[in-house]
Amino acid sequence: MSLSIEVLPAAGGSQRVVLSGRLDTHTYEDLDEKLAPLLTRNLQSLVLDLAALEYISSAGIRSIFKARKALGAHGGKVLVVNPQAQIQKVFDVVKAVPMSEIFSSTAEADAYLDAMQRKVLQGDEED
Amino acid sequence: MLIRLIVPGERARVEDLNTSLEAVLKRHGIDPEVRGDVRLIVEELASNAIVHGAVDGHHVGQHELSVNIAIDGDLLTLDFRDEGAPFDPLSTPPPDLEADIMDRPIGGLGLYLIRRIAEETHYRRVDDANLLRVILRIPQTETL
Repeated sequence: MSLSIEVLPAAGGSQRVVLSGRLDTHTYEDLDEKLAPLLTRNLQSLVLDLAALEYISSAGIRSIFKARKALGAHGGKVLVVNPQAQIQKVFDVVKAVPMSEIFSSTAEADAYLDAMQRKVLQGDEED
Repeated sequence: MLIRLIVPGERARVEDLNTSLEAVLKRHGIDPEVRGDVRLIVEELASNAIVHGAVDGHHVGQHELSVNIAIDGDLLTLDFRDEGAPFDPLSTPPPDLEADIMDRPIGGLGLYLIRRIAEETHYRRVDDANLLRVILRIPQTETL
């Protein structure tokens, strides 16, 4: 089984990418390749929808780390939505993504992004 | 049951190995969670053996990596044997999981994952071969 990667249209500094299949030593390069052009200074949040991802190994964790570092350099974040049991277990063991950046639905992640956005706007008004 | 593959240079065959293992485990009624753990352990070990042969400086040539799998009660035992350079995968230092993401290296997590997911791990070097035993606990489904 391979990995399928669906890049949804970007909106408001946020980019959603839907993964399904296996993210492992055979497929992580495909993901790196697809993500590389997205990881610009304009991207504030990359939302990885993992509902249909069945399996991840350390090679897949490496890809997520790369994205977290690329965005982290300018204060951006990688949010993870709906990781399945095997993926959550691997995330927990290696602390791949902070708990506060893992969501059980896209609605939850959207609400978090909206709140972040409001904070930024409020900050601008106070300046 | 014994399954073999040749490393390094056979990354694609790791998937064949995992596919074979998965079929056997399924036949024995092993649940998806344990099958996922087995897949992860095999992938991490095989990738490591493949990368080691190529990057480690001293080329060890092609050698065989074999896996013997045994199920006994609620324990599943994987015995890995390879004739590569002596390497104890259990001796690598654990990664610093508390460091800030910007300071963490992007690799070095595979062997740590094996150690954390397994119930028990043992390494021995015997007759020019690395022997690694990994034991997993099979969760028992509750019987009424």
